Amino acid sequence: MDRADVGALVQSAVDGDAAAWKALVEGLSPLVWSVVRAHRLSEADAHEVYQTVWFRFAQHLGRIREPDKAGSWLASTARHESLKVLKSLRRLTPTDDPQLLDRVSEDRTPEQSFLDLEEAAAETERIRHLWQEFEELGDRCRQLLRVLMASPPPSYQEVSAALGIAVGSIGPLRQRCLRRLRARLEARGAV
Amino acid sequence: MNDADNNDDINDLINALDGIDDVAYDLLAEELRRAAAILDPVPAGLRQIAVDAFALHDLEARIAELTFDSVVDAIPVRGATDVPRMLTFHAGGVTVDVELSAQGLMGQVLPPQTADIEVLSGPQAGSPLTTDDMGRFTHGEPPVGPFALRLRTGGGVLVTDWLTA
Repeated sequence: MDRADVGALVQSAVDGDAAAWKALVEGLSPLVWSVVRAHRLSEADAHEVYQTVWFRFAQHLGRIREPDKAGSWLASTARHESLKVLKSLRRLTPTDDPQLLDRVSEDRTPEQSFLDLEEAAAETERIRHLWQEFEELGDRCRQLLRVLMASPPPSYQEVSAALGIAVGSIGPLRQRCLRRLRARLEARGAV
Repeated sequence: MNDADNNDDINDLINALDGIDDVAYDLLAEELRRAAAILDPVPAGLRQIAVDAFALHDLEARIAELTFDSVVDAIPVRGATDVPRMLTFHAGGVTVDVELSAQGLMGQVLPPQTADIEVLSGPQAGSPLTTDDMGRFTHGEPPVGPFALRLRTGGGVLVTDWLTA
């Protein structure tokens, strides 16, 4: 999301504009979700952390010092809350989510409806392969690429806040991870 | 053609190839974004909860900030399992100590004072509690997921930072 827009929406929301708040949720939810998913929380934990992040954002709304950086604020809060949940004792077992590929969301997005078409079966297959190879990448690459998958694409400041890595290292790391992913796809003959 | 020209040509070629790579990588990144939108989207129910969370926006209440959390600030005791989680919140001169365990939640407002407390789990009204004269309170149900406490004291309304229990 454009920073100037984010800053203005935060200001309007502080003044009580529910539509501005909703626009913030629409625009920045995928970023928060991507950060949480990048930390490989279980389904239940991911849901809880996502909520905590938004509740805290609503609570701190009028006190955020740099409203145009609300995306980074959310990304950083999502990161800290995810790490804390991973650290707490009762959640020591890391959870993979092997059903993800088989899961079909009940809320159909336009993309999903598109995938329902029979001629799109090959496309579905390709996307599944892509996702499988992505899942097989090392932790660092998987984490970075998952955050970068947020839509609209996050700024590097937001990625930095999401993962605690320097802004300057994101570009080169991204290239390297995409190169690895492409090599995996090529090896599979899926390019 | 001298060596310098030659090098320039090679560099041009390398730059051009890098350029092709950049485009290919951007396409791949875009494809990943589309894959995520299909295979791992934000669940619609969650998005709605975030929209409804606007009700938590309250400029009147003071925020009691988390200043201690045993999950990050304490060294775990070897072999100890199911140890209670200790939390401390501060706002102005008021401290709220909270202990979370499988049995529930207990805590104390300091300096000791009575307060009406709500255990919140979202934008909707929470379970009400009252402290004793020493500011102590207990709640028999352990919080699950996001939670915060809203306290009405003689000095106004305090809400603790939201946490994931």
